[in-house]
Amino acid sequence: MTSNARLLAGTTILAVSLSAMSAHAERVLRADEVAVGEIDPAKATDYADTVLAINLYDTLVYPKQGGSGVQPHLATDWTIDGATYTFNLRQDVTFNSGNPLTAADVVYSFERMMAMGQGNSSLFAGVIDSVEASGEYTVVFNLSSPFAPFLSTLIRMPIVDMATVKANEVDGDWASTWMSQNSAGSGQYIVASHDPQTETVLTYEGDYFVEPAASYPETVRFSYGLEPSTVRALMSRGEHDITSQWLPPEVYAGLAKDGATLLTEAGLTGEYFKLNTQRAPLDDVHCRRALAYAFDYATMGQLTQINDETSTGKPMSGAIPAGMVGYDATKAVFAQDMALAQEELAKCAYDPSEYPLDVAFIAETPARERGALMMQAIYSQLGFSVEISRTPWALLTEQVTAPATAPHVVEIAISAASPDTDSLLYAMYHSSQPPTWISSSYFKNEALDALLDQGRVETDAAAREDIYGQANDILASEVPDIFAYELLSPFAVREGVTYHNLADPSRTYPVSGFNMRFADISVTE
Amino acid sequence: MSILNRFLGRLLSSMIVLIGVSMLIFFIARIIPGDPARIALGPRATEEQVTQMRETLNLNEPIIVQYGLFMRDLARGDLGISLYSNRPVITDLAEYLPATLELVLFAGVMMVAFGLPLGALSARYRGQWPDSLIRVITLLTVSAPAFVWAVGLVLVFAYFTPLFPITGRISDAMTIPHVTGFLLIDTLAAGRFDGFLSAIHHLILPAFALSLSGIGQAARLTRANMITTYEQPAIEMAQAYGFSEARIANRFAFKPSLIPSLTIIGLDFAALLGNAFLVEVIFAWPGLSRYGVGVILQKDLNAIVGTVLIISATFLIANIIVDFLVSILNPRIRLSENRS
Repeated sequence: MTSNARLLAGTTILAVSLSAMSAHAERVLRADEVAVGEIDPAKATDYADTVLAINLYDTLVYPKQGGSGVQPHLATDWTIDGATYTFNLRQDVTFNSGNPLTAADVVYSFERMMAMGQGNSSLFAGVIDSVEASGEYTVVFNLSSPFAPFLSTLIRMPIVDMATVKANEVDGDWASTWMSQNSAGSGQYIVASHDPQTETVLTYEGDYFVEPAASYPETVRFSYGLEPSTVRALMSRGEHDITSQWLPPEVYAGLAKDGATLLTEAGLTGEYFKLNTQRAPLDDVHCRRALAYAFDYATMGQLTQINDETSTGKPMSGAIPAGMVGYDATKAVFAQDMALAQEELAKCAYDPSEYPLDVAFIAETPARERGALMMQAIYSQLGFSVEISRTPWALLTEQVTAPATAPHVVEIAISAASPDTDSLLYAMYHSSQPPTWISSSYFKNEALDALLDQGRVETDAAAREDIYGQANDILASEVPDIFAYELLSPFAVREGVTYHNLADPSRTYPVSGFNMRFADISVTE
Repeated sequence: MSILNRFLGRLLSSMIVLIGVSMLIFFIARIIPGDPARIALGPRATEEQVTQMRETLNLNEPIIVQYGLFMRDLARGDLGISLYSNRPVITDLAEYLPATLELVLFAGVMMVAFGLPLGALSARYRGQWPDSLIRVITLLTVSAPAFVWAVGLVLVFAYFTPLFPITGRISDAMTIPHVTGFLLIDTLAAGRFDGFLSAIHHLILPAFALSLSGIGQAARLTRANMITTYEQPAIEMAQAYGFSEARIANRFAFKPSLIPSLTIIGLDFAALLGNAFLVEVIFAWPGLSRYGVGVILQKDLNAIVGTVLIISATFLIANIIVDFLVSILNPRIRLSENRS
């Protein structure tokens, strides 16, 4: 062989090797969320925790893709007999440990969650009397009384591998410490490493009962608490793929200009200006109505606009976001009407000049100051003087535990915990709820309470539609909150990455956080 | 007084300071608004669940009893579970402290390596253009906080000219066994020189951002002290003897001027720990300062006390070291301490 031929052969071998290496290059997805990430599903509360839970664990049902309600997931089908729900499980599901997923695991997962009393356990507290395995793949939930939102609530009960968890229990701790560092689920991914403040690395497990997308990520690096400037720089360097939803609008606009795709997730979330209905002058419904009529919804809409194509908000027509039971698409959205505002103000028992309004916004979300400033400008036209306070979250959570210390107005985004309207309205407006930031309008209305109670036991879909429609009307009329806009959480996605579940409405899951199934994302470059 | 006795004396007084700090922070943490149980469990938690967690955390006990229980657990090396990370606070501290210390120490080295020579250079050429240039630069570095520099450095060296990494402590592709938590040590211990270089590469931008203010301060202080020293008769005498300018600067002007700078650098160490927060956030540095702010916002009582105690201890240790260095450099201090 001549030297030229040897050179040619060597080059060919090198090229083939490199192309083979390239063909087997690991597909990595890099995304981020706010700190901290909790991987124990029994402690999961926020968006990051939800994303981790749906990728590491499975639930009996899952939010319905491209629609509302829920669809089968681990459960193939179910029967409802009053307060008894019987689920048949898939028989082809194994945990990442290799153990088969059976009804006993479902029972144990429920017991563990309730015994630990954290995370989403409050959604089931007082609802379930007992859970039993009536067969290897059949599980029965006996509720304390009929509870119509139960099926939807099950999206918040991930199933853990009983044998693995029990093997790692220490002094009856339900393996709490171990589960905050390791996963014991049947999801598409397992935890490779986890630092709750910095990053969770997940690797694809394979052999799953749902097919992954083409070019699904084999490794996911899910970071926490990245600064907007850092995210911007990382995206420009091609070192980050999907941003969190918490960046300032200017950063999204800049990323879009650089070639990123902007997508939004509706997620059944409303942006509410909660009015303190127990403090003068807002204990008078006419004053509240005056504020609601005067509110500049159009300007608010402009404030949510990232660029010509993408907005982080859409107008609301009531308390219920689109896609939930009780939402009426035919109703007109709210709009400013100063004449009606003055009319209502005239009926109010209080003189606005004697009652300055304190409007708080959460210090950690500075973009919300714009809403407060807008209120200050508008309500001064009604004669109110508005004092704006920038309140740290910890202080706000303390203030709202009593109406006397809570501000008159505070802007908060509230998401439904499940696709059922009950998970939103009951926590916000039922008079039995403890005073927290979700219920910080302290609204007390017997008719509404009765409807919300009725909605919990009524199982007929049409009847529930009617019940929550009536509830929505009461809320629109009594104005415990100003329903500013439905929040659309924005995400910037790097070129070469396809976030199918948000890009294609027919594939979108209706609940916040449930779209980020990593194996449904394609990483092609 | 022997060096050992002096060391033990400083150690004892530091222990007393730490106990005082523990009491102070324990009570202050409980004054911060917000119910830690409610914050941890979220707004949908039932009253029963909140009550149960308050009992678990002993929050219903009188504050003195709570402090007694805390000290009892601390004596056993148990700082409780963090509500922020859901892990033992000790685990968090062990994981995050080395990252911050490595960053702060590297920044400290930069402070000394750049600050003192710049100050000496400025004093050596006082009144001339190098002096003016250094004074302008150091004034700029002192007047802007570390996070402004951090963002600026990211913009210049990571966004426009991507020369440095901007997140993390080491390349994602590398896995280094955790021994000390100091990656510069662990990489060498593992025989991974490529890892060592990667760790240095990741350290440069955040440490430089963190140290810039200190560099300016050290330079300005060194310059001022050296100019005062230059006016001493000893310098005039050295010049009369015909010593070179470089020798006069190094031997007769720089060394005596070092002592106040060193003391300030010791104090700056505490400032570095504080300023590290925003730098850690911007560079996604998995450190203790970032953790500290996170736990305060979450009102995670156990973690707040643990973090403040560990930062206080680090600060005290740094100051003991500086005191010893100063006494070594300045014989008058050493002699006066020996006499006392």
